[in-house]
Amino acid sequence: MDELTSTFVTESRDLLAEMEAGLLRLEQAPDDRDNLNAIFRAAHTIKGGSGVIECRYIERFMHKVENLLDLLRNDALPVTPELATLLLACSDHLGTLLDVLTAGLEAPDAATSARGEKLEAQLSACLPCEEAGAVPVEQAPDVKASGGGVVSLDGWHISVRFGRDVLRNGMDPLSFLRYLATLGEIVSIETIADAMPDAAAMDPESCHLGFEIRFQTRASKDEIEHVFEFVRDDCTLRILPPRSKIDDYIALINDLPEDAMRLGEMLVRCGALTQAELDHGLAVQRAPGAAEGEPLAAPPIGEVLVEQQVVHREVVEAAASRQATVSQKKAAEARLVRVQADKLDQLIDLVGELVIAGANANLLAHQSGRGALIESTSVLTRLVEDIRDAALQLRMVQIGETFGRFNRVVRDASRELGKEIELVITGAETELDKSVVEKLGDPLMHLVRNALDHGIEPPAVRAAHGKPEAGQIALNAYHDSGSIVIEVSDDGAGLPREKIRRKAIERGLIDETAALSDQELVNLIFEAGFSTAEQVTNISGRGVGMDVVRRNIQGLRGAVDVRTTEGEGSTFTIRLPLTLAIIDGFLVGIGNASWVVPLDSVVECIELPGAADTRDYLNLRGEVLPLVRLREMFEVGGEVPARQNVVVVQYAGHKAGLVVDALLGEFQTVIKPLGALFSKLRGIGGSTILGSGEVALILDVPALVELVASAQGRTHGEPRTRDLRAVP
Amino acid sequence: MPKTIFLVDDSATILLSISSILTKAGYAVEKAANAEEALKKFGAGVKVDLLVTDLNMPGMNGIELIKEVRKLPAYKFMPILFLTTESQQSRKMEAKAAGASGWIVKPATADELLNTIKLVIR
Repeated sequence: MDELTSTFVTESRDLLAEMEAGLLRLEQAPDDRDNLNAIFRAAHTIKGGSGVIECRYIERFMHKVENLLDLLRNDALPVTPELATLLLACSDHLGTLLDVLTAGLEAPDAATSARGEKLEAQLSACLPCEEAGAVPVEQAPDVKASGGGVVSLDGWHISVRFGRDVLRNGMDPLSFLRYLATLGEIVSIETIADAMPDAAAMDPESCHLGFEIRFQTRASKDEIEHVFEFVRDDCTLRILPPRSKIDDYIALINDLPEDAMRLGEMLVRCGALTQAELDHGLAVQRAPGAAEGEPLAAPPIGEVLVEQQVVHREVVEAAASRQATVSQKKAAEARLVRVQADKLDQLIDLVGELVIAGANANLLAHQSGRGALIESTSVLTRLVEDIRDAALQLRMVQIGETFGRFNRVVRDASRELGKEIELVITGAETELDKSVVEKLGDPLMHLVRNALDHGIEPPAVRAAHGKPEAGQIALNAYHDSGSIVIEVSDDGAGLPREKIRRKAIERGLIDETAALSDQELVNLIFEAGFSTAEQVTNISGRGVGMDVVRRNIQGLRGAVDVRTTEGEGSTFTIRLPLTLAIIDGFLVGIGNASWVVPLDSVVECIELPGAADTRDYLNLRGEVLPLVRLREMFEVGGEVPARQNVVVVQYAGHKAGLVVDALLGEFQTVIKPLGALFSKLRGIGGSTILGSGEVALILDVPALVELVASAQGRTHGEPRTRDLRAVP
Repeated sequence: MPKTIFLVDDSATILLSISSILTKAGYAVEKAANAEEALKKFGAGVKVDLLVTDLNMPGMNGIELIKEVRKLPAYKFMPILFLTTESQQSRKMEAKAAGASGWIVKPATADELLNTIKLVIR
């Protein structure tokens, strides 16, 4: 896929999400004008973009959608639930078409095409048979003032005198005429060269020309004016609509620098006026106020137009205010900058380097013992920290967009399941790292679908329990001490403890005699292969998702937890770090090298008892703690110190002790991913650079814990079977 | 002989999207990622029928570029369009005073872009 197409796809997906959110709002508020306009704009932009990249199937489809939206927007058609459903189906189809485009296919497959054609037919059915006639042309109001009759010729009159600098600004006066000719037909044209000085005094680089143009077109005044937009500030331009009053021509004659009689002749010659009309007009002009008490002054053009009833004041004002809102809107759009994610990653990377270099400078300053230097580096350090925070902030996105997707999911599912369910979203403006948001979609989808399917009871059951028939699912997000907390709660049946217990026993997850706290019991639903749904539906499937949810969240260095009260509902709480780029680490030393243990996995630190020197486990207050000797594992050379330490780490309920030489303390560090060469390396999750410039490797605690857990399983549980197994 | 349009913009995406529209419409396209590079090419006498430049660029900005190009005798009457947003009214005036012919309001559709270009070159 080329760059332009991928830009289009990204943009369109954003717009599609906007459009869908708008369509859902449309059902609630069919009269919301801004919303309708926003939906239309999104569809229009997608259509425009598809034209640019020449994706005809999207362009054709969106053209139909746009037509229908245009009718809705102009009140030519009422918003009905059926229409909203149809438009939602259309936005789904557009999503499919974008997938087709992303996949790089020439055209959608037969099934997709058929669906598209069906939708197009439905759209066409909603449109009134090809609109009757064009948009009505602005009616020139009847003239009540005098000054002569209405000029009967049906055509525009354009009078233009170019500014001196037109040529010097790289514009050819003829190019305007040429462009004008693309809008309609130039009936006649008179060149006005009266301003031309004597040949001796003439500057050939200056423009002294003007034109009187008789013009036939179906274009609007705006469009004609637009032709002259680039020179409007420094040229004299008057555009008179068809059937203008003679007064307007007289005003024109008055406004322009040429001799009145001569200009009048020009107008007659180019057919704007007849000689009789001109004579009559000039006669009236010579006796201002005499005719019918109507003075012929030359106030500003807008005023003139209104006063002379060429256009209604309301029209002018409406146009002006509309212009203002449009430019405001554009300005707001312009404040957003689309940046490629990898550019941001690169910036964050550089900021990481900056943090490291700053720490190094700081270290050297302290070693030098020079006060002024220390002071200046500490200012620098503070600034670098600010830059780091600001740079990380750049990658922060609001979670609202992710939450917003669920409006549709809940709407569709509640219809399908015959339940009445309302989605309440709070904290949509809470921000978190984009890379986290992207990976959060699936787990959230699992949780919401589970709530829809298993959580909320059917209306009859709810009524029987004295609850309102409409169930409620709430999504909430907030920041809490360096992490973000996301809650998915429902006011449904809650998790049935007894059932969970029975199921867990059945699945061999716990013993029949196991004494579990309420919390431990409930958390069993996160174990692999656990499901209490008696009926498999296509909303939440077989309920195998919960262990996947936990694994996904843990993959983001987060945790998921559930609180539930039977009969009242449950709340799933996801807690995540704000960013994946920086961690709080615990620095340990082995030999000459330093290693970083992610702080959130550290439980405690103890000294390695001398007796445990040769064993691979430790008695930790009655608990067996398997040890991982990092020195041996990573083959670090050098003398083993007399006293070694153990960092007790925990992951997924399993503990392990990491044997290290020295404990060097906590510090915040920027994670640098390892290169592809090291991707297969077990036990190491990344690297970071210390203030001294040394590289420190970040330990992958889950992998290390898993390693000892499986090693334990082998040595204690499986040796027999393994010995007996024949080697193939 | 196709007309040559010289595009100057620091954004690769804009360069790509506009140049692809122009190429499709049958124009020849010259590109530069900044004003300095553009000026170097103008200094070397590149054959150009229209200059389209962004105003906000790192280093020399578009307005300075326009002023410098207008100083070169060979490009005294060449049409110059600049890319702008609706909100930059004052910049518009400034750029016109520097010798620009007109402007293209971003974001522009392909039609708007081509129509504006048709207005200033044949």
